[in-house]
Amino acid sequence: MGFLSPWFLVGAAAAALPVYLHLLRRHTTTPHPFSSLMFFEQRTQSSIRHRRLRYLLLLAFRLAVLLLLALAFANPYIKRPVAHSSDSRMLLVIDTSFSMRAGSRVSDAKREAISVLDSRNPAERAQIAALGSELHVLTEPIQDSALLAAAVQTIEPGDSRGSFAELARALRSIEETTPGPIELHLFSDMQKTDMPASFAEMALPPSVSLVLHSVARDTQPNWAVESVRAPSQVWDPKRAHVEVVIAGYHTPAATRTVSLVVNGKIIDSRKVDVPAAGRATLQFQSLNVPYGWSRCEVRIDSADSLAADDDYMFAVERSDPQPVLFVHQATDSRSPLFFGGALASAAEASFTLDSVSVDHLAAVTLSKYAFVVLSDVISLPPQFENDLLRYVRGGGSILIAAGTSAAHRARIPVLDDNIIEAHDYSREGERFVTVGETDPSHPVMQSSEGWAGVKFYYAVAVDPSSSRIVARLTDQTPLLLDKKIGEGHSVLLASGLDDLTNDFAVQPVFVPFVKQVARYLSGTEDQNGSRLVDSFLELRTTKDEAVSVEVIDPQGRRPLSLKEAASAQSFELTSAGFYTVRLANGKEDVVGVNADRRESDLEPIPEDVLALWTGKGSPDSRQQANLGAHQDQERPRGFWWYAMFLVLVAALGESLLAARYLVTQADKP
Amino acid sequence: MQRFLDPVVLAEISRLDLIARTVVDGFVAGLHRSPDFGFSQEFAEYRAYSPGDDLRHVDWNVFARTERAYLKRYRGETNSLLTVLLDASNSMNYASGKVSKMDYARFTAACLFYLAIHNQRDAAGLIVFDDEVRNYIRPSTRQGQINRLLHGLELAEPHARTDFAKPLDHFQQFLRRRGLVLILSDFYESPEKILRTIEPLRFHGNEVVLFHVLDPKEIRPDLSGPAILFDLETDHHMEVTPEYVTEEYPSRIQAHITALRDGARSARMDYYLLVTDRPLDAALREYLTIRQGRN
Repeated sequence: MGFLSPWFLVGAAAAALPVYLHLLRRHTTTPHPFSSLMFFEQRTQSSIRHRRLRYLLLLAFRLAVLLLLALAFANPYIKRPVAHSSDSRMLLVIDTSFSMRAGSRVSDAKREAISVLDSRNPAERAQIAALGSELHVLTEPIQDSALLAAAVQTIEPGDSRGSFAELARALRSIEETTPGPIELHLFSDMQKTDMPASFAEMALPPSVSLVLHSVARDTQPNWAVESVRAPSQVWDPKRAHVEVVIAGYHTPAATRTVSLVVNGKIIDSRKVDVPAAGRATLQFQSLNVPYGWSRCEVRIDSADSLAADDDYMFAVERSDPQPVLFVHQATDSRSPLFFGGALASAAEASFTLDSVSVDHLAAVTLSKYAFVVLSDVISLPPQFENDLLRYVRGGGSILIAAGTSAAHRARIPVLDDNIIEAHDYSREGERFVTVGETDPSHPVMQSSEGWAGVKFYYAVAVDPSSSRIVARLTDQTPLLLDKKIGEGHSVLLASGLDDLTNDFAVQPVFVPFVKQVARYLSGTEDQNGSRLVDSFLELRTTKDEAVSVEVIDPQGRRPLSLKEAASAQSFELTSAGFYTVRLANGKEDVVGVNADRRESDLEPIPEDVLALWTGKGSPDSRQQANLGAHQDQERPRGFWWYAMFLVLVAALGESLLAARYLVTQADKP
Repeated sequence: MQRFLDPVVLAEISRLDLIARTVVDGFVAGLHRSPDFGFSQEFAEYRAYSPGDDLRHVDWNVFARTERAYLKRYRGETNSLLTVLLDASNSMNYASGKVSKMDYARFTAACLFYLAIHNQRDAAGLIVFDDEVRNYIRPSTRQGQINRLLHGLELAEPHARTDFAKPLDHFQQFLRRRGLVLILSDFYESPEKILRTIEPLRFHGNEVVLFHVLDPKEIRPDLSGPAILFDLETDHHMEVTPEYVTEEYPSRIQAHITALRDGARSARMDYYLLVTDRPLDAALREYLTIRQGRN
C-alpha cells in the first residue's frame, strides 16, 4: 500500500481537536445544587458509563471522519495483480508510412512478421495492426495463424506520414480498455522523422514490452521534389510561373532533370545541379495549360530507392478573367477608380471590374460575377437586393463599404446588421483615428503591414454580434467584419473606398488588401492546387444538408456514401494523387495531393535511441524494464473513493449521535 | 383573594409587613363566610366578676340593667403565647422556582405574627436557629413587637446546617411559659432524632406544630438525564441518575414525611406539610384551628 499524495496525511493532525474537546473538556458539567442529598444514593456508575461510552462512540466517529478524509486526500493505493500470464497477447504492427515504399521495405516487413507469427506459441493470441498517421487494427486478438498471416498479406504501403507518438497513444488506449501484458512487435524502417518532438510522447505503457524489427539497415540517399509553387488559377499562361524546390537527403552532388508535365505531356524540361545533401530551386517561366482544370506534375529523374516522391502533383485552372460587379452611387466616380486600379495591379489576380451605378442594376445578372462590391450605396432596388441575398446564400460573396451614405439608413443592406452610430472623426480632437488591432489569421489580413499608417476620418459602428471582427480602430470601433451567410461570405468595411472618408485608397496597403479580398471572396484562396496527404478538405461551410457534394479519389472511386455526401463537412485526403471535388456551393475543384516530404528523409533513428525506447539502453532503462515487468504482475489500484464513502458513513453516524447528545445537554434537573 | 395568598405573587412584594397585612386581611375577610372558625374579637361569653378582675372589662351596660357585674369575654382576649422556631440552615435556601423555602417560611411566619398580634392580641416571639440559636425575640405584646419580629425575620439568612440537638437547651430555657410553638423547617434529619429533640417542648404544656416546608421539586424531582448534584449544607457532590430520581427517591422522601407525620401525632404534636408552590392560607388555617381549640 502506498500514497500518491502523502502530504495530505498531515491533515490527520486535525484529529487532535476532537480528542481535546472530548477528553480534556469532558468534565466541565456544572453541578446542580440540591437542598439535601440524604435521600440520594450513588447509584450512577452504569448510566454514566453508558453515557461515556456514547461519547467515546461520538469521538470515534469524529476521529474517523477526519482521519478518513486525510486518507482519501492522500490518494492511497494498493498493488494488485492485474492479469494472468494467459491474458498476454502479441501485437504485430507494420509500418505503412510513405517511406516504406522505398525498396522492398513493406514486403520485408511482412515477411518478417509472418516469421514471428510462425515462431510464436500457437496458444498465444496475436493481433495485427498497420501504422500510418494512426494505428489501424486489422484483427482481433486471435490464435488462428492463417487468418493472422492473411491480414499481414493485405497490408500495402500508404502515403501517410508515420507517427510513433500515435502508436504510443493508441497502445495506451488499448491497455486501458483491455488491460494485460502486450508483446509489441514493430516492423518499420524506424524513420527518424516519424519521432515526435518529445521522446516522452513515445513512452509506452508499462505492460507493453517492445520488440523492434527494423527493415532499413542504413541511411539511403534520396532525391525528392520537395515543393512546387504554382498559381491555382491561370488566365494568362505567359504570366504564370512555376517555382520548384528539389531536395537531396543524404545524397551526393548531382545533376537532375526536372520536367513539367501537364495532363501527362511533358511541356518543359530543365537540368538542375543539386548540391550534396542540399536543395536546388528552379523556375518554369510559363505554364501553358488549356482552359479548365489541368493536372500538372513536376518530375525528376532520381533513380533512387523511393521513386514515389519524384513526382509532385498540383492542379491549375485556366479561365478567362473573372468579372467583379462594382456597385456605386452615380455621383461616386472615385471609388471604382481606386478599387479597379488596385485590382488590376495585382498581377496574379485574374479579375475585371464591371462598374455599375445603382441606377443601372436592372439588367445585371449576378451569377456570372466572382463577387460583388457595394461601395457606399444609399439604397438598392428591392429586387436587386433580394437577388443579391440569394446570390450570397448560394455561395457568392460580397464586399460592402459603408461610407457616409450609411448615415441615411439604419441597417447595412444584405447583411441586415444594425448601424449603431456614425463617427465623424474629422470633427473630433485628433481629426482621425487609425487601425488599433488586426486579426492576422484572417486571409484578408495576410499582408497586414502598413495598416497602422492609414487615417480614417469617418466610420460607422455596426453591431458585430454575429460577425468575426478582422480589424478594429483605435477607439475599438470594428473596421473590418467577416460574416458567413449561407454558403457565401460577406466582408464589411466600416468606411468608404474613396479618399474622402479615409486615405486608405492612396496607401500602399490598399493594393494587397484588394488582392486578398478578391482572392478570399472569389474562393480562389481556398483553391490551393496542391495539398498534403492526411490533410482535410472543407466540403461545405454550413451544416445545411440540402446540397450534396461529390469526391472522386485518385483511383476513380467515390469514397463518400450518399449520406456522407449530403452531410459531411470535410474529407480526409488519405492517398497521393488527384482528387476531383464538387463542393456544396457548386464549384468544381481539382486537388493534387502529395505525401509529406518529411517522409523523404530516410535516415533511421539512432540505435541508442531505439535501445532507450525498448528499455534496453541504459541501466536505468533496464531497471525500468524490470520494473515494467514487475508491474505486469502488480499494478497500483487507488481506493480513495472507498475512504470517501466511509467518511460519508462516519459523518452520518456523527450527526445522528451528536443530535441526541445535544438533546441530553438541554436537560436540567 | 386567592391571588394574594400565592407565594409567587408575594415574592414580588419586598416588605414583610405589607406581605403579612395583605395575606392576613385577605384571609380574614375570606373567613367571614366560614362557620367553622371564630373571630377573635367577637363576643364569647359573660363571666361573673370576681375580685381582682380588671374593671376595664366589666360590661357596664349589663351592670346598669341588672346591677350585677359581669365581665364580657372575647375569644381574642384569651391571650396565648406564640413562638415561632425558624430553621435558617442552608438547605432552606433551595428554590426550584421564584420562591425559596426560606422565603416561604418567612412569609408564613410574618403572616402568623401579624395574625397573632394584630388580630388575636397574642404575644408572639421568634427563635431563629440552624445548628445553634441565631436570634431570639422574646414573646411580647408590647407596642412595636410586630416590627421587631418582622425585622428578625428579615435578618434571618441561612448559614449552616440544621442541628436540632444543639439549640434544644436554649429552646427549653426560652419556652418556660406554656403556649403555642410553631417550628418551620425542612426537617432534613431522621424523624426519630427530630421528634426526640422536639418532644421535650411538650412537657411544659406547649402546643407544638411542625410546619414541614418543602419545595415541590424536593418531593418529585424532575431529572431527565444524569447530573451531578451537590448538597447545600454539606457541599457533598454526587452523580445521580434519572432512573433513581424517578423511581426510588419519591418513595424515600414520602416515607420520611409519613414517618415524621406519624411520629408527630404519636407525640401529640401537629404536623403540617407546606409546599412552596401552594398558597399560604394552609398555615394560617392550621394556626387558627389550634388557637380555637385552646380556647
